[in-house]
Formats: sequence, structure tokens, C-alpha cells
Amino acid sequence: MSNLAILPIVLPLLAGTIVAFTNKKVTITRFLSKIFILIHLAFTIWITYLVFTDGTIILETGSWVAPYGIIFVADYLSILLVLTTAILSTACIFIAPKLVSEQKEIFYFYTFTFLLISGVSGAFLTGDLFNLFVFFEVLLMASYGLIVLGGSKEQLRESLKYVLINLFSSVVFVTTVAFLYAVVGTVNMAHIAERVHEVEQAGVLTTIGIVLFFVFATKAALFPLYYWMPKSYIVPNPVTSALFGALLTKVGIYSIIRVYTLIFIYESDTIRNFFIIIAGLSMIFGVIGALSTNDIKLIIAYNVIPSIGFVLLGLAVFNETGLTGSTYYLIHDMIIKTALFLLVGVISYVAGTSDLKKMGGLIHYYPKLGWMFFIATFVLAGIPPFSGFIGKILLLKGAFETDHVIIVIVGLLTSLLILYSVMKIFILGFWGEKKKNFQVKRINGMLYPIVFLLIFSIFMGIGAEFVYPHIETVGEYLLNPEAYINSVLKE
Amino acid sequence: MEFIIAILAGVLFATGVYNLLQKQLLRIAIGTGLISHAAHLFILTMGKLKRGQPPIIVDNVTNYTDPLPHALILTSIVISFGVTSVVLVLAYRTINENKTDNMEQLRGNEYE
Amino acid sequence: MLLAVLAPLIIAFFIPTLSRWKSTIHTGIFVFFVPFSIFLFFIQHIGKDFIPIKQVFEWIPSLHINFDLYLDGLSLLFVLLISGIGSLVVLYSIFYLDKQENLGHFYVYLLMFMSAMLGIVLSDNIFVLYSFWELTSISSFLLIGYWHFKEKSRYGALKSMMITVFGGLSMLGGFLLLSVITNTTSIRVMIEQADLILESEYLPLALIFILIGAFTKSAQFPFHIWLPDAMEAPTPVSAYLHSATMVKAGLYLVARFSPIFSQYDWFFIIVTTFGIITLCWGSYMAVRQTDLKAILAFSTVSQLGMIMAMLGFGTDIAIFAAVFHILNHATFKGSLFMVAGIIDVQSGTRDIRRLGALYTLMPITATLALFGTFSMAGFPLPFLNGFYSKELFFDATLGLTANDVGISAIIAAIVPYLAVFGSIFTFVYSMYLFFGVFGKSKNNPADLPTKPKEASIGMLLSPIILVLGVVMIGLVPNLFNNGLLVHAATSIKATASYEHIKFWHGFNTPFMMSLIVVGLGSVLYLTKDKWVKVYDVLPGTLSFNKVYDKTLTYIDNGSKKITNSYMTGSLRHYMLLIVGSMFIISFIFMYITDGFAINMSDLADITFIEVVVVIAIAIAAVGTIFSNHNITAILILGITGYGVAILFVLYRAPDLALTQLVIETITMALFLLCFYHFPKLRKRDESKKTIFTNLFVSIGFGLLMTTIGISALSSNWFDKISDYFVETSLPIGGGRNIVNVILVDMRGFDTLFEIAVLGLAGLTVFGLIKLRNNKGAK
Repeated sequence: MSNLAILPIVLPLLAGTIVAFTNKKVTITRFLSKIFILIHLAFTIWITYLVFTDGTIILETGSWVAPYGIIFVADYLSILLVLTTAILSTACIFIAPKLVSEQKEIFYFYTFTFLLISGVSGAFLTGDLFNLFVFFEVLLMASYGLIVLGGSKEQLRESLKYVLINLFSSVVFVTTVAFLYAVVGTVNMAHIAERVHEVEQAGVLTTIGIVLFFVFATKAALFPLYYWMPKSYIVPNPVTSALFGALLTKVGIYSIIRVYTLIFIYESDTIRNFFIIIAGLSMIFGVIGALSTNDIKLIIAYNVIPSIGFVLLGLAVFNETGLTGSTYYLIHDMIIKTALFLLVGVISYVAGTSDLKKMGGLIHYYPKLGWMFFIATFVLAGIPPFSGFIGKILLLKGAFETDHVIIVIVGLLTSLLILYSVMKIFILGFWGEKKKNFQVKRINGMLYPIVFLLIFSIFMGIGAEFVYPHIETVGEYLLNPEAYINSVLKE
Repeated sequence: MEFIIAILAGVLFATGVYNLLQKQLLRIAIGTGLISHAAHLFILTMGKLKRGQPPIIVDNVTNYTDPLPHALILTSIVISFGVTSVVLVLAYRTINENKTDNMEQLRGNEYE
Repeated sequence: MLLAVLAPLIIAFFIPTLSRWKSTIHTGIFVFFVPFSIFLFFIQHIGKDFIPIKQVFEWIPSLHINFDLYLDGLSLLFVLLISGIGSLVVLYSIFYLDKQENLGHFYVYLLMFMSAMLGIVLSDNIFVLYSFWELTSISSFLLIGYWHFKEKSRYGALKSMMITVFGGLSMLGGFLLLSVITNTTSIRVMIEQADLILESEYLPLALIFILIGAFTKSAQFPFHIWLPDAMEAPTPVSAYLHSATMVKAGLYLVARFSPIFSQYDWFFIIVTTFGIITLCWGSYMAVRQTDLKAILAFSTVSQLGMIMAMLGFGTDIAIFAAVFHILNHATFKGSLFMVAGIIDVQSGTRDIRRLGALYTLMPITATLALFGTFSMAGFPLPFLNGFYSKELFFDATLGLTANDVGISAIIAAIVPYLAVFGSIFTFVYSMYLFFGVFGKSKNNPADLPTKPKEASIGMLLSPIILVLGVVMIGLVPNLFNNGLLVHAATSIKATASYEHIKFWHGFNTPFMMSLIVVGLGSVLYLTKDKWVKVYDVLPGTLSFNKVYDKTLTYIDNGSKKITNSYMTGSLRHYMLLIVGSMFIISFIFMYITDGFAINMSDLADITFIEVVVVIAIAIAAVGTIFSNHNITAILILGITGYGVAILFVLYRAPDLALTQLVIETITMALFLLCFYHFPKLRKRDESKKTIFTNLFVSIGFGLLMTTIGISALSSNWFDKISDYFVETSLPIGGGRNIVNVILVDMRGFDTLFEIAVLGLAGLTVFGLIKLRNNKGAK
């Protein structure tokens, strides 16, 4: 029992509120935002350290014992994701003054961003299903604010679709919580899990679980529910795209992992085979989408889908290797997607277009940007020795261990096509002859936050020895829902 | 009675979804309203109906209706209200900017 | 040894700094010392009493991914090739590449490649091997695209990367399978546990996975198509990567794993078949080329096929011949590539149709080419190493005995004929290459873009050394045999040592085959103009390049078609797909898991007034669909809202009822505000099909929700947690209104963030209204 678990949620909430009042002076907003995000990062690192040394931290809010009050659970998985969120948000906050127009900054860009961080951290940390719904709404509302910021035609149009589809899935979510309440009479996740296990997920419970899966899968942009995602991710400014790409879909897949490792662990064959199919189709259709376009932002946005498919694959095979792989891949993907969204943001800023057909020869003017993108490409495609590789071999190995051969072949082919789709940007955008009358813009300040993210990605690959054992603990831990239930209910 | 409410909520969901599938923005907005109502009715019903007094503690009464769904619905109503207002203003601005209220004309295929 | 592997990579980091001084000192001079010192380091290991060395460096021990370096005979052979030829190539490049070029990049890529290649042949760990494997693909990609302003370079770079990375990933799949089967990541441990692999049901799959990796890298038919296009790279790169080293990585892989797989019949069948087809196709196609480097590329393809086939044979003599030929090929082909580069620089063209009669103008180059081409052709002269390994190859083809009838037997029977066939064409293109450039010709060298003259001694130095190698191996083959080759061969197959390499074996069948090759080859070469039309028939329009191009076009266009077919941008389509898949799959699961339940025993009674309200709400809800007037529709929505409020009253939820009333009223006002001035609702002019689909999906979804709701109500197996709230509300929470206590205390965080949501909504609306379309905003 420690109040620490609430810090990653409350700090950004406070920060967001405070910076909302400084909107007259944008320099102060920027400065304060940077300070706050660094404090947030520092605290998160500290809490992560505590969790990995002393075990899960539980906070029962208002001292109402579980399962009655709302609880926050900082366990291995959730705190790692909160930490990743903090890391990539730091990069985003630091790059924002360069990539976001001042007007948008004044119109509460930072407030929305902090609230988004708060909502995402809350969604990771909460141990209460209805509270999860509330945090979903917080992060969605913040994302609505961010996505419409600027109010251009395309933005409004795509935002509307985005908002409506998310609204629908939220309504279904809250209804599903009600259904679960009717059956097991509680909304605390550990308590739900305990009771569901008691009746071995009998009767209608599996169906409720599947509806819940669909709710989360809509947020996670899995096949066949991702239609809202690609275009709505590219209409706002690049920093917002990066935050969306890194966080929103990941909250969805996190919820799926949480619910399906903790609560719905029976009827496994049918469900897991279903997941394998969904994972495979997400990979295939996602990468097909990425190949279908010449818009660099859209290419990256479509690439969100196959990576979610990979994460789901680890859950589907449901062994230690697979789950460890899922976690590793999830963290890797959050960081590299942020980096890539920011990179294509910078690229389309310097090229003045996001259409590949109109680009070329950028490497002559922006060698650093080019090579950073080149490395990011390989990180994304899972080429060693970068972070994607470790995650990928674990996932594929996990699939082999459970005799799922076809999905491995799909996964390998998808990796190839991902590489192709992104390498196209490098070949067509960076290679080529020098252009005449090309205006070179200053971008150096934009690159440091991206370098910061890439260093993490490289470190998670080359320095995997420092990271992997911890994540292996997560995989082990996820296989054993009793650990979570006991830490919440039996203290 | 619970089953009847469940059916009613189902009807609300069905009509809500049907409205969501229309072209005109107003109908779509109405659809969102209907499905929120449906969700709230479901929450209420799932706590069972009419099992006691309103959940305000009065001496000598031990039997109250389930208060938790009420609390959840309250939270949910307020949140839906926030979302609905955003949807409405967003719709208003979209119609103004794009000069149409027909979703089929708001497909936007310039990225291909 | 780890230092040796990583040294080039580390030094690559300093190249950008070093290349700043390139105006005074050519960057290549610094670079030269890297491979040369590695060469000197490893050459000490050569000797009769060589024993394998193993070194372990931990990298990610928890995943069993470590730098387990293992130097055996096979590795030693490759290491010496990589560092030896590497030194010569760097030396050559100093004179080949102008200081104006972006030398920094060139040498960074080259050193990266060197590291990667050393890593491949020294790693005992499959994942480290794979890492280096991909690194060679990447550096090859960068080197081919070195002159990236040329369209063809970009095309060639992408092609080589797509094909080799495809193979790499497939190989990774194979490695993963092997590691799952044997539970180790060490190749040597896998070889010890070969039985486990041979018994596994995944054996065929693992074999195919790994062979695809090897075949793509070693440009085996039909994956050979990337190699000719890779010739867009600067010539030193072609000499190094695309003839001497990288393309041999596939051979290395097959050799490395043959102790495991060679006991499996299909290994012989697949490897031999593909190898021998590659040999024939490559040499056949080489004759048709007009670009010097393209001839050499196809010749490389064909030679690689020959070595691959020998690895497939798996007999003692074949393995030995394969190893021997790897060495020989590196020497003569390396020198020929360098010669081609010299001709290119000195004459300004590589088109053999424009070249000719250069013998007198470039005598040294011509002599070098003479040795190279005749060795390649397998001309029976004692000072040409190519003849020795070719003779052994023929010998090996004859020694094939299939232990059963079937595919293996058929292959064993026809291999000698195909070997002769391929070798005849090898002879033809060798002659074509030499005489086409240096021999008599109607072309006048004066017409060439640059007036040819002999190259500088610096440029000639490297090919001279290689040709000396050709002659040395030819004259004293056993010097190399005892110190190096025998170790290499025995590390693939323990019995594959060959006592004494001799030039003269008497008039035996292999020698007869050589004579046939020389005889028929000469005839074919001299009559080439007469039969060259045969290429119109085969390959004619058949082209594997087209397959590759078509595939890419298909991927591009097909993906566009598929994606556009469902990413229509229409909200209705999206919702149809989302809602439709949701309810259909949920119903399927409900059916499978027998999820439906109905239990009427514990229900509240039905009263008249409730039913009236319910029916009113239902009618109103349906009414929203049919109303054709803005205000009516909004008001009807209002009716449902107020109806729900009445239900809240009936079900004893006073707080809810109040909130609902207030919120509903504000929502109504908002609705009216937003839509009053808006386009009028029109009659729905949809087709029957649209209406039917909409109905199907919406009713299906409503049905799903009702069914789950009823089942959930019917299966309340547990007590609700709310009793606790009732009990503690007053004593601990200090409030009589339980709902309020829950909201502000027990579930206070819900409320806190609910307020946050409202605040955000306010800011969003504010931003929406205030921040209008600013054109050009980022």
C-alpha cells in the first residue's frame, strides 16, 4: 500500500491544469511543460525501480479496501508501459515547440497532451474495470481535443469519424461492464478474475469476454476494426500523430492482454485460435495498407496495424516466450512508432509535401535525418541488432513452440513487406539527384528528441541483456493470474 | 420486468445503430444519443430492479436497491454529455467547413 | 577474434573523420590496413596441425544470444578469403575511385560489410549469425545504391535487398525451428543433436527455410536475378561482395549445416537439382550478355551453382572439390572483375560489342585476363587452378551412386551430362569474354569513348596478385591443400580429405569430359553467330526478372486495389463492418460456448405504468428513424431521454432521474442550437439493399445486446459487492445518500476524472469554435 502508484496519473493532470492557465505566454507554457514532463519521467523511473525491486505496488484509494473502492495496481506490466509512455512523451513535449504551430500551442496543446498522458497512465494502472472506462474517456477526450486542433477541413472530417466510432465502442464498453457486473457482481478486475475462475468462465462469460475484446480491438485498431485509424492519425500535427500512434492503440492492446491474461483464461483453444487468425489478418491487411499509398505519413500509420497484430500473436500463443515477446514488442513499438511518426513529420516539413512522388534527393541536404530514418526503418522491420528483433524472435519462437507454423510464415513475410513499405520512403525520398532551387530548412533542434528515442530502441536491442530479464519476469507473471489477484485481494 | 427493459435497451441499441448508419449528420448524432440511453438502461437493469428502497439511508430500512449501478450511470451520463457536446459542435463545424451534412460526401480520398 | 570481427565496424565509425583529409590522403589508404592486419592475424593459423579455436563472449546470455566464435577449417578458409581479397579490393579501390567521390560513405559500407562477413563465418550462434547475415544484406544494399542518383542503382539495390532479406527472414524461420527442436542456439550443439532434428516432423520445413536463405544469398536459380542488377555497384564492390565473398555466404551456410541435413534424402535432391540447374542456366545465359560485368555476373551465378551442386552431392570428393573451388573461384573471378573495371575506366565502356583488339594497347591487362578466363574455362594446363577443381567436379559427378531407385537415382544418372553441358558454355563465355575484348575485331579501339591505354601499376597490382594466386595454386596445389583445404573439407565432412592433388590422372573419364568441353566449346564459340538465335526460343520472353517486377507491381497495385475497396472513407461502411463483425462473431462464440441462459425465477414484477413507459420509449426510438423534420427528430429523441428519466424514477433512483432530466434538457438545447440552422432532414432515398443491410446489422446488434443482457441476468452466481456500500456508507463514509458517498468517496477517482473529461470537452469545444481554419497551419 503506497500512494506512489497514483503519481503518474495525478502529476500530468496537475501539470495539464497548470499550463492551461499560462496560455497567454507561450514561452512559459513550453518551459513549464518541459519541467513537468521531466519530473514525471523521474518519478516514473523511481516507481518502476521500486516495483521491480519490491514487487507490485497497490493503492486503495480513500483507504477503501479492495474490491470495494477503486484501486491502482502498479505491477510489472503496467509500470513498464507507464514508463515507456513517460519516455516517449518527454520526446514529444520537447519536440513540440519546433513542430507544432504557436497558435495550437496556445489553444491548449500541452493541456491536452498532459491529460492524454494522464489518461493513458491511468488506463495502464487502474485495477477497476469501470475506472478503466473512465480513463479511456479521459484519453479519448484529450485525443479529440488534439485531433481537431487547427480545425482544417480534412481534420474535421476525419475527426468526426474518429469520434463517432470511438464513442460507439465506449458505449459498448460500459454496457459490457454492466453485463459483467450482473454475472459476477463486482467491477474490480482482480475480484472479477477470482469469481470468473471460480465458475471456470461458464455460460455467457465467454461471450461477454469476446464483446469486450471487440471493444478493445476497436481501440487497438486490430483487423477488422481499424478503419477509423490510418487517416485520422495523419490529419493532426506530427506530434499528435506520434502520441496517437504510440499510445492510443497500445492502450487497447494492453487492455486485451490484461483482460485475457487475468480474467478470461478458460475456453482457451477456441479463443486463442481466433486471436491467431485476427493477428494474422491484422498483419496482412495492415501491411497491404502500408504498401497501397505514397503518402509517407499514411505508410507509417498503416504500419501500426501489423505491429498490434504481432503483440496479439504473443497473447494468442499464450506461453512464456510469447507473452514476454508481446511485452517486449509492445514497448519497442511504442518507442519506434513515436520516432517514426516524428521523423515523417520532420521529413514532410522539410520536403514541403508528404507525397513520395514529389520527393527525392533529401540525403544531400539532410544526411543526419536520412540515416536516422534508415536506422528507424530497420528497427521497425525487426532487423538485428535493434529492439524489434528481440521481440520478434520471441514471438515467432513462442508460435513455433505451440506448433503454429502458418502464422510464423505470415509474420516473416509481413516483416519483409514492412521493410519494403518503409524502405520505399528512404529510396524515393532520400536517394536521388539534388534538386534545383531547394530551400534548406533548419531542423537540428528537431532531431535531438528523435535521437533520444532511437537510442532507447538501439539499447533495447544491443543492450537486451539489461532489459530482457526484467521483461521475462513480466511474461512469467502474466501466465500466473493468481499473483495479481493475490496482491490485490489478499493483503 | 428486467427482461422487458433488456429488450427495450436492445431496441434502443438497434435504432441507435440504424441511425448511425445513415448519411445525414443529424441522424447520426441522434443515434449516439440513443445508444447512450441504451447503455444506461442496461447498467440499471444489471443491478436488478425494484429490490428495495431508494439508496438513501433511512433508519429501520435495511433493503435498498443496488446503489453501485446508480453511481456508475451518473458518471457515465456526465461523460456522455461531454462527448455528445463535442460531437455536436464538431458536427456543426464540419458542416460549416465542408458545406455538406452528408457523410457519404465526407469520405475524403485525396490520399490515394 | 572478437576484436577481429568488430574491428572494421569500430573503425567505420572513425571514417567520416578520416575522410575529411581526403584531399591529401585517399581514405582507402587508412582502410587498407584493417583487412590486411586481419589477414595477417589469421594466416598464422594455417598449417598441418591446425585445431579449431573457440571463444565465447557474452552478449545476451539470458536469451542465449552470444558471440560464440568458432574458428574451424571452413571458417578459416572464408576468413582468409574475406580479409585477403578485402585487402586487395581496398588497394584496388584507392586507384579506382576518385577523391571527388563520397569516399567516407563507401568505406564505411565496405568495412561494415567486412565485419558482417567475418561475423557470419565465425559465429557459432545462430542468432548472431543471422544478425551478421542481415548486415551483409544492408551493406550490400548501400553499396549497390552507392551512386543512388542513378535509377538503375536504386532498382538494383532494392532488388538485392528484397531478395536477400526475404531469404534472411526465411533462414531466421529455419533457425528458430532448429532452436525450438534442439533447445540450443549453438550450431555445433545442433550438429551433435542431429538425430533430434532428423526425427522431427519439422525437418522438411526447417530444411526449406534454411535453403531459401542460402539460395537467395548465393544467387541460385531462380533467385539469381538480383546479382546481374547488383553490378550497378562500383566494380571493387562487385569483385568483393558479388563474386568472392557475400554470394558465398549461402554456400557457407549449406556447408555448415550439411552435417545435419546431408543424412536426409531431400537435401541431396534439392541442393543438387538447384545447383546443377543454376550451373547450366548461368553459363548458358552468360554467353548472351553484352556488358562485361553482366557476363561475369552470370558466370558467378553458374560457378556458385556448381559449388552448390557439389555440396549437395555430399560425397568425400565432392565436398573437397567444393572447398577447393571456393578458393579458386575467388582468385580468378576477383581478378577478372578487376580487369573488367580497368577496361571500363580505360576505355569508357563495358559493352563488349564496342570493345575489341585491345591486346596490343593493354598487354598486361590482357595477360591477366588470359589467365583468369582460361582458368575459369577449366583449360587443362598445369598452372591454371580452375582445371584442378573442375576435374574433381567431373570426378565427383561420376561418383554419385544412389542407394535406391527414385528421384535420387534419376538425378545421379543425369548429373554428369548436365555438368558437361554447363561446362561447355562456361568455356564458350570465357573465350567470348577474352577474345571479344582483346582479340581481333572489326571494332577500332580509337572509336571508344576514351582512348584506351595501359592502366597504372596501382590498379594492376591487385589483379596481378590474384593471378599469381591462380598460378601458384595451379603449380603447387598441395601447399594449399595440407594447410588449409583439408581442414576446411574435413570440417564439413570428416572423411572428405583428399590426399594429393595431381594434374595428371591418366586418360580417365573426367579427363575425357574436359576434352569434350574444350572441343565442343571451341566449336560452339567459333560458330556462335550461327546458333545465337537459340536465345529467342529459350529464354525468349521467359524472364525471372519479369516475375520479380510483376510481383512488385502486383504488390503495389494489388494492395492499392484491396485497400481502396474497403477503406472507402465512408463512415457507414466502417460502422457496418465493425458492428457486423462484432455481433456475428460474438453470436458464434455464444453458440460454441453455449452461452445463452434464461432464468425467470428471480425477476421483478411487471406493472402497467412501466409497460406504458417502455412502449412509449420504444415507439419514440423507432420514430427517430422515420421523422423527416429536424425539430421533430430532436424532440422525439428528447422523449426517449425523458422516458428513461421516468424509468429511473420508477426504479428508485432519484439522483439519476434528476441528473438525467437536467442533462437531457441541456442536450436538447444544444441539439436545437446546432441543428436549427442546418440542412433539413431529407427523405431517405436509399436502395432496398442498403436499407436491408442497415436493418440486418442494427437488429443483429440489438439482438446480441439483449441476448447477452438476459443471459447475464439469468446467471447471477455471486453476491453483489454493493451490500458493503450500504453497510459502510453511514458509519465510514458519513453520508446517508449511498450513491453520493460512492461517487465522492469510494469511487472518487471516477468522479475526479469525469470532471477532467468535462473540462477537456469544454476546452475542445472552445478550440473548435475559436481556432478557425488557418490555411497553411502545420
